[in-house]
Amino acid sequence: MEYLASTLTFTGISLIGVLGAYLVTGLTGLFSFGQAAFLAVGAYVSAILFKNFGLPLPVAAVAAMITGLIAGVIVGVPTVRLRRDYISLVTFGFGEAIIAVLNNSTSITGGATGLSGVPQYTTFPLVLVSVLVCLAIVISYKNSKYGRQCLALRSDELAARSMGINVERLKLMTFLMASVMTSFAGVLFVFYTTYVEPGAFGWVVSAEWTIIVFVGGINSLTGAVVATVLLTGLPEFLRFASEWRIAIYCIIVLLILNFRPSGMFGQYEISLRSIKQLFGKGA
Amino acid sequence: MSSLEVRGISKSFGGVKAIDDFSFDVGQHAIVGIIGPNGAGKTTAFNLLTGVYALDAGRVILDGKELTGLPQHEIARAGMGRTFQNIRVFRGLNVLENVMTAADPYSDYNLLDVCFYSSRKRSREQAVRELSRNYLKIVGLEGCEEERPESLPYGLQRKLELARALATNPKVLLLDEPAAGLNPSEVRAFIDLIRTIHSQFEFSIIIIEHRLEVIMSLSSKIFVLNFGKLLASGTPAEIVSNKAVTVAYLGEEDTACSI
Repeated sequence: MEYLASTLTFTGISLIGVLGAYLVTGLTGLFSFGQAAFLAVGAYVSAILFKNFGLPLPVAAVAAMITGLIAGVIVGVPTVRLRRDYISLVTFGFGEAIIAVLNNSTSITGGATGLSGVPQYTTFPLVLVSVLVCLAIVISYKNSKYGRQCLALRSDELAARSMGINVERLKLMTFLMASVMTSFAGVLFVFYTTYVEPGAFGWVVSAEWTIIVFVGGINSLTGAVVATVLLTGLPEFLRFASEWRIAIYCIIVLLILNFRPSGMFGQYEISLRSIKQLFGKGA
Repeated sequence: MSSLEVRGISKSFGGVKAIDDFSFDVGQHAIVGIIGPNGAGKTTAFNLLTGVYALDAGRVILDGKELTGLPQHEIARAGMGRTFQNIRVFRGLNVLENVMTAADPYSDYNLLDVCFYSSRKRSREQAVRELSRNYLKIVGLEGCEEERPESLPYGLQRKLELARALATNPKVLLLDEPAAGLNPSEVRAFIDLIRTIHSQFEFSIIIIEHRLEVIMSLSSKIFVLNFGKLLASGTPAEIVSNKAVTVAYLGEEDTACSI
């Protein structure tokens, strides 16, 4: 039971990260390979403020999110003007730079040995509520003028500008939303594991989130959620296969992308109306 | 009082002068045409007016407002609406959402409204939706709201671009070869549609078109471009009888061929 709860908690925290990756990669078409760095920012800032400076948890959490926002501005302001492929490079570099800083400032972060002794405050209900709130915000964002404009600029930047859309501003805004959300996930993460080390936030994690968005369906939030549950849960279920599980994981991802190039769900979104239609057809 | 004033705009790409000292005026609520042989710089002129390319020289003034050097999205919001020669609809959005996107920059709710599902967001969204449905109705795309734009036939995609341009609330509407790829009966229907739209709204229209039928029947004034320079301007009747225009289009009556 405890094992299931811990798997679900980690899945929930990953889901918030994936939601950030969905905003940036799925909705806006910017490939970010540094999203996990914001998880690190959230985790380390909140843990250090709580442990070393004795700030109350909510204050530490808000401070961590604000730090994530500032980091987002520092990376985002120069990068949104770049071409898409360069954005991947810059965010990748940023992510690895954060890891290097964490590894080398041993006196504050504990360096490669990590930061331990953080109390466990994160519970599964808290994660569940957090996931639902983040999901509600992302759904509303997708169904707002911002979401439409993001999809428009992903499809055709020049035409989007001609419709009066401030492309740079919108990209930055979406990127910052993802930064804050992912930093928050970092706070949940560190107060659950009670221990963090820089290795946990490398580009592999960012790439995994991006893969999840693609497997789920680049345009589909439903797909992102389902794919997160499947793909973060999957390695746990494949434990019996020990060293083969990563290979099996890769094969499953490749098969899905080969036979459904637009992801499991494509552009489909689950909604009251689509459920009604489904039953309407069945009847 | 002139609506759009274009003063001596120029643009070079490397050594090629794509547009060379081109000036023209478009009056309030007028329809003017720009014609010229292939490569004359017509689309480049549109790209300069809408800020896709930066001007090398010259000024663009719309209703007394200086647009020279503004970023593309600000020029669009100042009232320069356009369609594209090669259709550029937004994939990933349905037909209605394509039009809504163009009306969205005028929708005044913010990120907090989005996060808290405020009633202001709901009412503004509803308003934009109704407005956009209305634009689709005007161009005759009623009933296609939920379709994927890329799955529409070519002629309907052109209409979608038109509806989207209307939704930007333009003062001047730039149509870049709107009748390209349409069959003769569609062309006639398109001419009627442009007339209807023009009478319903207050904006002026500038059309680039190769089909002289469209240009001649719609525009009150025509500008002829050749190698980036203004070759002639005048009423359709004047242009048809202009010797220089005939030469640019058809070539000189060549003595070399008479051997």
